[in-house]
Amino acid sequence: MNLTEPYQSDGARGVQPLRLVLVLGLALVALCAPLVLGTYAVHAAVIAMIFLLPAHGLNLLVGYTGMLSLAQAAFFGLGAYTSALMSIHLGTSFPVNFAGAALMAAIVAVPLGIPALRLRTTSFVMCTLGFVIIGQAISKNWISVTRGDMGLSNIDKPTFRLLGASVEVAGPVQTYYLALAIGALATGVFWLLVRSPAGRNLVAIRENETLAESLGVPTWKYRLAAFVIAAAFAGAGGSLYVHYISVASPLMFQTIYTTTMLIIVLGGGAGSITGVVFGAFLFVGLSEGLRVTPELRMIAYGLCLLLLVFKFPKGFAPLLQKLWDRAGGITRKEGSA
Amino acid sequence: MEFLIEQILNGISTGSVYAIVAVGMTMIFGVLRAINFAHGEYYMLGTFGGWYAISALGVPYPVAIVIGVAVTAAIAFVIGRLVMERMIGAAPEASVVATLGVSLVLQNSVILAFGGSYKFFSEGYIEPVFFGDIGIAQQRLLIIGLCILVFAGLEWMVSHTRIGKAMRAVSQNTEACAVVGIDVRTVVIATFVLGTSLAAFSGILTAPVNVSVYGSMGEIITFKTLPIIVMGGLGNVRGTFIAAMILGIAESFVAGQFGLQYRDSVGFVTLILMLLWRPHGLFSSHARF
Repeated sequence: MNLTEPYQSDGARGVQPLRLVLVLGLALVALCAPLVLGTYAVHAAVIAMIFLLPAHGLNLLVGYTGMLSLAQAAFFGLGAYTSALMSIHLGTSFPVNFAGAALMAAIVAVPLGIPALRLRTTSFVMCTLGFVIIGQAISKNWISVTRGDMGLSNIDKPTFRLLGASVEVAGPVQTYYLALAIGALATGVFWLLVRSPAGRNLVAIRENETLAESLGVPTWKYRLAAFVIAAAFAGAGGSLYVHYISVASPLMFQTIYTTTMLIIVLGGGAGSITGVVFGAFLFVGLSEGLRVTPELRMIAYGLCLLLLVFKFPKGFAPLLQKLWDRAGGITRKEGSA
Repeated sequence: MEFLIEQILNGISTGSVYAIVAVGMTMIFGVLRAINFAHGEYYMLGTFGGWYAISALGVPYPVAIVIGVAVTAAIAFVIGRLVMERMIGAAPEASVVATLGVSLVLQNSVILAFGGSYKFFSEGYIEPVFFGDIGIAQQRLLIIGLCILVFAGLEWMVSHTRIGKAMRAVSQNTEACAVVGIDVRTVVIATFVLGTSLAAFSGILTAPVNVSVYGSMGEIITFKTLPIIVMGGLGNVRGTFIAAMILGIAESFVAGQFGLQYRDSVGFVTLILMLLWRPHGLFSSHARF
């Protein structure tokens, strides 16, 4: 399975009117959606935008650097617990907790990444899975801090404090706009990151690590940096999640979280930003839609994973690319897109 | 002293359970170069098959073992043809995702069919036997004995039978096998069905000791088996046996000294420590995977 397309320049120059309409239209839809949708659909959209954060991180690892890491769920849980504990014990406001969670995940990722990144393929996957299992064990057993299986509950809704005034973001619609802002910001940051020379170097590592090293790319530093940045994204996602659902428990380290992140990135298309954004809404929507029958939901997920591997190894990214090309007035030869 | 010996004996019997499951997984890795994240689900399927045979058909325990293994082998054959066969020559990432998918489908199909509640496994030989002051359940002795038989049988098979030799050949070089006329697909399916049947066998053997049977029981087994096969050196049968025994005994001590709740993380903690010290596994001199 080749997960990603080789890097290709777009070819379009200047602003394409049809593309502009498409982007503005989507932005308008995103802004107006809560006014039209029911509460449950808005809730699903919030969850999708929360999962977008760890998915961006995973995309950086799988899609841009070529490392399949299962540790994103561990950092997601770590971020959630960090944010919850800060809110309970320090009473800090949401922006502080959010930054704290991302920072904590990044800091912890360094000592975990150094040994893990020495490993390749299967051993690396196993090691990163181990981080999730150990995270769950810690959250279950460090009872004085995490309250074990009972979890931390009644965590504050996201609160902003400015000049003495305190604003609480409560309810799905308000959280929707907060999540939309954070999701858009994160996507923008991610886009800048992968378009920068550093992002190109990561792609070079994915394509051929030895060759990249021989051309003077410090591959070890880049891979560690990618692992740490991915962890920060996951930690930030965990923070938003915990303030939205207001409970942190060891259930956050369940396999289903890892699977959801994987399916978003692989289904959307590893190495494609729009693909992953699309994947987050599609697969979280599917999952929330099937929540009434949890077993069928899992079976559908499993079948999706199988279908993705065998029928659509590149996810939805090629489809989206074709649409985008058409909007830009570009026709590519079949097979090169 | 008695306590210590009892702990070691319990550790060996737990290790035997892990060893029978893990050897199947490591053999599958050998021929496919694919980690089977669904392996624990076949352990669960076997247990459910045995439980269903006993509670619905009323058969005695030994017959239930045969039924459970046969049902699992049949399911594994279908999955082998539909999914695992396509893993030949695929990237490791593809196998991770595909077998995670298989695991979700199998686990939740069983929960959908039989409900999510705990079932009670009533058969087996659970009366203890005493050697002096040391007591051990008959079932545990049975597990240890059968584990030795399984490993002796596997050693014989891979060195003396045609299919066993073919398995070794495929795990060494798939292309060369195709050149000399070994049907790689048949060998892969055969190994997969054998490996998963062993997992099912282990599940039914352990059921009388564990007593409860439930749909998500396979996941924890997968998570215990993964560190074992990596520690044993992927594809290495003897290494897997030793790693399984080490983990079984280590878990028994941790549960005895620190408490039961820490038992389930012993495997991965040991694995990560080992990967720091010897990234290539305990029993091989260079990194292979």
